[in-house]
Amino acid sequence: MKKIKRRAWAALLLALALLFGTGVYVWRFAHSYRQWINFSANENLFRDGALALGTVTDRNGVVLAAVSEGRRVFADSAATRTACLHAVGDTAGNIGTGALTAFADRLTGYSLLTGATSGAGGTVALSIDERLNRTAWSALAGRRGAVLLMDYKTGEILCMVSSPSYDPNVGFDATNSWYDGVWLNRCLSAAYTPGSVFKLVTLAAAVEHIRDLDTRRFTCTGSVTVDGNVLVCSGVHGEQTVEQALANSCNCAFAELSLELGGETLRQYAERFGLTRQLQVSGVWTAAGRFEASPARSADLAWSGIGQSTDLVSPVALLRLVAAIANGGAVRELSLLRGAPGGSARLLRADTAERLAAMMHYNVVYSYGQWNFPNLDLCAKTGTAEVGDGTSHAWFAGFLADEAHPYAFVVIVEHGGGGLGNAGPVANALLQAAVSIS
Amino acid sequence: MDMLTEALLLGAKWALPLLALWILARCLRSMLRERYEPEVWGWLEAMDGSRAALKHWECILGRAESCDVTVRGDAVLDTHAVLVRSDRGRWRLFDLSGGDTLAEGLTDEGEGLELQDGDALWFGDQRMVFHDLDEAQRAAVERERGVPGALVSQGLTLLLLSIFQLLLALEYTQVTEGRVQMETALGFAFLILLEWCYYLLMRALDRRGFELETLAFFLCTLGLAVSASSVPEEMPKQILMLLAGVLLYLFLGLWFRDLRRTKALRWPVAAAALGFLALNVALGVRANGASNWLDVGMFRLQPSEFVKLAYIYVGATSLDRLYRRRNLFLFIGFSAVMVGALALMGDFGAALIFFVTFLVISFLRSGSFATVFLAVAGAVLAGLLVLTVKPYVAQRFAAWGHVWEDPYGAGWQQTQALSAAASGGLTGVGAGRGWLHKVFAADTDMVFCLVSEELGLLVALCAIFAVIGIAVFAVRSAARGRSSFFVIAACSAAAMLVTQLALNVFGSTDILPFTGVTFPFVSKGGSSLISCWGMLAFFKAADTRQNASFSVRLPARRRFQEYEDEEPEGGEDL
Repeated sequence: MKKIKRRAWAALLLALALLFGTGVYVWRFAHSYRQWINFSANENLFRDGALALGTVTDRNGVVLAAVSEGRRVFADSAATRTACLHAVGDTAGNIGTGALTAFADRLTGYSLLTGATSGAGGTVALSIDERLNRTAWSALAGRRGAVLLMDYKTGEILCMVSSPSYDPNVGFDATNSWYDGVWLNRCLSAAYTPGSVFKLVTLAAAVEHIRDLDTRRFTCTGSVTVDGNVLVCSGVHGEQTVEQALANSCNCAFAELSLELGGETLRQYAERFGLTRQLQVSGVWTAAGRFEASPARSADLAWSGIGQSTDLVSPVALLRLVAAIANGGAVRELSLLRGAPGGSARLLRADTAERLAAMMHYNVVYSYGQWNFPNLDLCAKTGTAEVGDGTSHAWFAGFLADEAHPYAFVVIVEHGGGGLGNAGPVANALLQAAVSIS
Repeated sequence: MDMLTEALLLGAKWALPLLALWILARCLRSMLRERYEPEVWGWLEAMDGSRAALKHWECILGRAESCDVTVRGDAVLDTHAVLVRSDRGRWRLFDLSGGDTLAEGLTDEGEGLELQDGDALWFGDQRMVFHDLDEAQRAAVERERGVPGALVSQGLTLLLLSIFQLLLALEYTQVTEGRVQMETALGFAFLILLEWCYYLLMRALDRRGFELETLAFFLCTLGLAVSASSVPEEMPKQILMLLAGVLLYLFLGLWFRDLRRTKALRWPVAAAALGFLALNVALGVRANGASNWLDVGMFRLQPSEFVKLAYIYVGATSLDRLYRRRNLFLFIGFSAVMVGALALMGDFGAALIFFVTFLVISFLRSGSFATVFLAVAGAVLAGLLVLTVKPYVAQRFAAWGHVWEDPYGAGWQQTQALSAAASGGLTGVGAGRGWLHKVFAADTDMVFCLVSEELGLLVALCAIFAVIGIAVFAVRSAARGRSSFFVIAACSAAAMLVTQLALNVFGSTDILPFTGVTFPFVSKGGSSLISCWGMLAFFKAADTRQNASFSVRLPARRRFQEYEDEEPEGGEDL
């Protein structure tokens, strides 16, 4: 019996293995339960693959999406539904960056302790103001593009509109090519040729690297030849200071700066400003941009320094840069959720930011025309990005140097033509609305 | 819903896991905290007057240190002889030395010699005198032995379990209606009635150990809940199966009271098991990749579940037979046929369970790691062969560990199970309120996740720990085991339950490949449930605490029977 008694402990080895496996399972459970529950087959939370729980509101509590009798319902007004589509998302989860998908774990009302409750789920208050979204949507007037506005003091995104869009209660005609790429939130998930708005990057590098920048004069004869290639300017600007060159958006001057700074320096700045990598906004990943450092003295380098060549920038990354310039060089990280401030990151030296802000203000006064932006203390930069098919994307990016209205914005109108003439009015309409609301 | 119900339901959500933890803690404390001191059943007096105590009902004598009684002497073999005490208090001597044990009247082999107090025995060149217990000493032994229930009141534990069951039933009344609602409520009422009837019956028989049964009833409660969620219309059938299981348990428990008749039946049981499997191979109904079903009238049986019982029955043996080589070879042959037949039927999970149990039994019997390693090596080769021949088994192995890489394809079953389990959190979404029960095989193969979803991770973990507790208890009982037959039976039954549980839980949670076996007592399925209750009888027979088990005769009754009980001796074993 003594022998068998001793051998009996062998049976306990199996129990130990079971105990160990149970430990592994509990550890994995604690580690991955959020991933496990966010599975479209999980009927505790999803119906037909769509999240069947939770309420999404805008920053003022206006309901953008709710659940009624087990079905997902959207805002009462068709304009709100259309203008907020990409911020809110769709029931099928096609808009991956929409709140219904991106913030599903907050909407479920799930907690580890109580599990998935059979109640209404949780509420997510977005940072956007549906009134501003409607304003931006109507200002786009059926053109494709993206509009972003944020509070650069808090990091909250107050307006985020992507066009094309549709009313989720109605759906859209998939055969109509205007709706191509409708699932894409162009603010976060698209990267465009930046054109002249990229001159802000080149300028920031120049301010920090070229000692005689303030005293230097740039001569523009309407074109410049680099490495045998002719680079055409938008006009014949003659002799200019750097402020004037930016206000004129003079390609000759910025080609000269780019060649002097070199591709590697420009690449470093684009990288430091977060233009080339994916960013996270409230946990949502954005599209990465692109900047390729071309060889010294090449035409490609000159082109890339003025935002052409192979450059790509996402609207949200550009917004982050202008917000940093507005906020003394340090950006409050962007947020899609109300009252959920992110961290802070320094993108530029304070004096560089101040310099850039002053020149962007000079742009408006000297070149863009203050009368186009009545009563706004505006600092901005236009962009007219040639996309190779003879058309141009119209960009307008900037901010209000106004403590009471600390708004930064980015507007892009796809194939919209000149930046000032096409994106400018959208920005103005939005800023006027934002100022009057607050 | 009135306010009282609402308050009760809110309370139930939190009370269920707390009650489960409490019940589990009480049972484990009662089973594992009590004293386990060796008992003395007789003595052997050596020539120099020193006395060696006989602390078990089966004792090996020999020169080796590992023997129960070490006898030093040049002519003494390492394992020389065996002394066996019957449950009627009579000792018998068996020779293992091939004729070098001498006592008056001892014949060659087989039945051994019945000893009387004061008999002189020769082991090689060593003479020893046998001393039995007298009545006064026997009474003293019984007084010393711990009685269950001293630390933890068993009735209160059962009362807590009843509250657990009532709350669960209340939750089900909220999600069912009409006839199903009534049947579900009646089902739980019957379960409560059954366990209290059992309790009162045992108290009437002066038996006080209920921890094993309480844990089994706790697991059955979860099983009933699983059925109530997935197949509420089959409640009456489940109750019938439960009743059948408890009756089998009672029958086997009573049968095991007598070791002699228990052993005598091993041959017929082995034959029946083989016949049952042969019938299954020939007439099996294919369902879900394995043809391990047999249609009998209105019921569909799974013979492999019953064969599990038979396997343990046949695998156990008493010490007087243990050292015969023929025994072990026959057992290995029997095991090979079992595992082979199951593999032939495509019941990969059951074959694996049998194999692990085989390893444990052969280790318990031989103590040889070499044998075990050889067997493992052979099985790995056989397993590889299975993988190449059975594509669906290979497919399950391929998905193992990668289920989230193909959540809608190869990992479909496990991802659903994990997702449901996680959405239950710690306290669950509520009885009958989950969705996993709608998924195929969720109430059997993925039942751990189903319980986790509806009743929460805590209750599901309690179910695992209940089985672990039973296993630890079985091994601890071995320390005071009387016959090696029940020690081997209980330990191998524990190994079988634990292996089955591990395959079930870890298969559905992607820690092991998905093999599709049942969770003891909890998975839906009559065959499995009945077999598990039968298995419980092996544990009960090994529970030698005073007045603990109805499967062990009480002393008074035993003495009374000594007069009328004169069964013929003998009977061949495997």
